[in-house]
Amino acid sequence: MKRAPILPYLILSFFISCSKDSVEQIEVNIPVGVVVPEEMVFIPEGDFIMGSADEKRTAKGKKKFLPAYLIDRFETSRNEYAELHSNYKFAENKGDFPATQLNYFDADSYCKLRNKRLPTEAEWEKAARGPDGRKWPWLVYYEHPNDGFSGFIPEPVAKRKDWIGPYGLYGTGHNVWEWTSDWYDYSGMPKAKRNKHKVIRGGLLQTHTMIRFSPTWYRNFQDPNNRFNFLGVRCARDIK
Amino acid sequence: MDQPKEKSIASRRNFLRALPPFLAGIFGYLFKGSAWAIPDHRNNKNIPKNYIQNRDIPGFHIRSANPFLGVDVNEWGLIIGGLVKKSLTLSYEDLFDFKSTKQISRLKCVECWSAKAEWEGFTFEEIVKRVQPLPEAKYVYFQSADSYYESYPLEELLRPRVLMVLKMNGNALSKNHGFPLRLIAPFKYGYKNVKYITRIDFRKERSRNYWADNGPYSIDGTIQPGIDHPLDYKKKPIPINGGEVFHFFDTPPS
Repeated sequence: MKRAPILPYLILSFFISCSKDSVEQIEVNIPVGVVVPEEMVFIPEGDFIMGSADEKRTAKGKKKFLPAYLIDRFETSRNEYAELHSNYKFAENKGDFPATQLNYFDADSYCKLRNKRLPTEAEWEKAARGPDGRKWPWLVYYEHPNDGFSGFIPEPVAKRKDWIGPYGLYGTGHNVWEWTSDWYDYSGMPKAKRNKHKVIRGGLLQTHTMIRFSPTWYRNFQDPNNRFNFLGVRCARDIK
Repeated sequence: MDQPKEKSIASRRNFLRALPPFLAGIFGYLFKGSAWAIPDHRNNKNIPKNYIQNRDIPGFHIRSANPFLGVDVNEWGLIIGGLVKKSLTLSYEDLFDFKSTKQISRLKCVECWSAKAEWEGFTFEEIVKRVQPLPEAKYVYFQSADSYYESYPLEELLRPRVLMVLKMNGNALSKNHGFPLRLIAPFKYGYKNVKYITRIDFRKERSRNYWADNGPYSIDGTIQPGIDHPLDYKKKPIPINGGEVFHFFDTPPS
């Protein structure tokens, strides 16, 4: 049987997936009976590649299976946080920016108030990265447009459609770092250092005036009592 | 020291302390604290060696926005005012009445290097207890003897490990490191850790700061996740997690 020529389709799909303004989305079949709230994304069960083989304090590129779950498409905005916390103040025209200055306990309690929970680190990474082990959620490397400034400049949570991941999540690898539920540890970590920091994921790396996206596998950590301008939250939920 | 000059210096200091606080505030504003107005040496390529200026000293670099000779403690006074119930003017000796506390912490320069020291001083809460800021005082402005200026939300100054520092590594601050008084906020870049403080003002609105007005630096200045080049690690690049810098998982070279 004669095979259809595949090369033109491969070239076409390459250009579609690498277009600056569109990131190819994984088609997901939502099981019957599963309700996906508008602000959340369904992540199907299955394997994904976690960590990087070149980074010893990660899962080193091993395959990991996760059951299906839901996760917020966007980082929690200031407006959303303030709906449940009337003493949370911010500039009037910045309500669609990420909620920050939240410690782990603030983040955890906020998600619970929404009948959600914090994602595990693995859930966060799979949702940001997809199953194919890519380094950048949006596949292609970009220079950050704010390069040349030393401070953190947050952006509206729904702003950067060209920087979304394959499951449609915004703000993974840029904007704020996000609390996860896991303690930071790694193979060979001294016992005395365990259970002291929570994993945070998905923000920017800044050194002097150089600003860089964080790769999908990049693990960061914070004392759960800390609150900073670069640290916010995204919630997840079990499938019921 | 000559008797007449000594008498003159003591008289000037006593004069400043005797002023009603609001007049001391005006006096201090007009003359930027006890250093009076100072010449601008920022673009001077031939700064005399005895001036405080940028120097890459092994162990702990010196940074100075506007080179100057340093503070004469006999002519220095700390003026605290603005939106407070009780303005204050304090001498150097008065600062030792505050409850003392010590800590070891890194100063991380936005330019990449960091260095560790033991700092001794008092918490900003000690000042707050004395002056009692009004409810609308949400921000604090610092004026420095070398014409530098900084600003903070009041809430950040009350966080743990923020100190008003009098001593470094067991000795009084040197002139290079901010004598007689500096701020240490370990979760902020070095440029936020203002030296030679002469005036503290409680305000309703946020003011700008020197390096936001003179360079690509943020007013906020929180240390972001990125890379550090600690001087005690021979500037080896080490990832940092944001906020106060600790190298949890690395040990310095022997």
